[in-house]
Amino acid sequence: MGLANTILYRGLCISILTIFVGSEVHAQTLTKKQQDSAFLLHPGQERIRKIKKSLAKAFVNFTNNDLSLYGSLNLSKQKINDKGITAPINYLYSSLNNNSYEAGFSGGFRMDGMYKEKHPYSFSFGINRIIVGNNYQNIYSLAPFIDDFTHFKADNVFTTLNITAHYKKLLPVNDMNKYKFYAVVGPSFDYKISSISEENLINSAGNKAIINGDFGAEFDNKGYYVLFAHYKYGVNMKSSSVPIQLNRFEIGMSIKTKDLF
Amino acid sequence: MKILYTLLIALSSFTFFSCSKETSTTQVNVMNSLLTNKNWYLDYSITEAMTSTTPVVFKSYVGQSTYFITYLKNGDTKDSDGITGTYTVELINGESQIHMQLKTSNGNPFEVIYNIISVGESNMVLSKVTTGPATKLYFTTK
Repeated sequence: MGLANTILYRGLCISILTIFVGSEVHAQTLTKKQQDSAFLLHPGQERIRKIKKSLAKAFVNFTNNDLSLYGSLNLSKQKINDKGITAPINYLYSSLNNNSYEAGFSGGFRMDGMYKEKHPYSFSFGINRIIVGNNYQNIYSLAPFIDDFTHFKADNVFTTLNITAHYKKLLPVNDMNKYKFYAVVGPSFDYKISSISEENLINSAGNKAIINGDFGAEFDNKGYYVLFAHYKYGVNMKSSSVPIQLNRFEIGMSIKTKDLF
Repeated sequence: MKILYTLLIALSSFTFFSCSKETSTTQVNVMNSLLTNKNWYLDYSITEAMTSTTPVVFKSYVGQSTYFITYLKNGDTKDSDGITGTYTVELINGESQIHMQLKTSNGNPFEVIYNIISVGESNMVLSKVTTGPATKLYFTTK
């Protein structure tokens, strides 16, 4: 499984790089060799062209797309219910439970556009470094000796790949031609790419996929940049012996790539 | 439409790979990591009653708190009484156990099996597997 995951990530990275490299168009003078090559068949390029054509066809209703780079600060806390753990292991509650929001960060790409020319949306793809505070729901004791322990030690630092789709509703606030305020709502999906500790795998507790429900607000300053604040409520995508609720606040900014490069 | 199917397959693959990766040795590995390379000091032992009318016997180790046992990473064990041997942590029918092959200071071999009631960074409770009333042993790392 570990090897399969590694291959999957590498495959994904290579695919993403291929798409980006393939989309670059350089205006330059062709050498003799390149001129000769232009007449030959290139199966790789042909495939990329077909994918682009197919994407354009599939997403014909998604218009006015602007690509942006974003960065954000995340404040995260997780609620942990370890009732499904049967392994005879104890962790001192006082040393694990801090019940606070801890700061992490995110970065990635974001595509803002319009669906059927009237519904604004945003898609984003990014990487999160999540540092999370823990709130353990269950406290155990083993009288007369061991007080206040849990059966599970949740990972509190991990990295995820994130895909988000948000519907944006323009709010009638201020001069809407200059400053735009949006309310946003939508799902997002996180996949842990950092390794899971062995403590987190006991009794099938380990879970790599998190599905989130997001809502928040965004402020678009004349198209120069977007400030956003989102709340994300996440749960394990698959059933687990240790259900975890991940609460996150995300505050950040996105800037259009054409303004940056 | 084809591209949407491709995206669906990609998402299904992600979901498939999101399954946990627990193996048969995961729990044993974690318990071993908590157990090894520490001196476990015996604080209390409690022997359960033979019958419900007989009171529970509390045997305090006040005055004998120097008794300790160490489980080394290489599978050896030794205690403060000079008894040495080897040990393995095993998971048998859902029961976590420590199997110890020991030798007295005279060289006589004997086997002791403990059920692990709970093991942590600094606390451990074991139950000696015997035919008579069970004895629970409470250890700390001090």
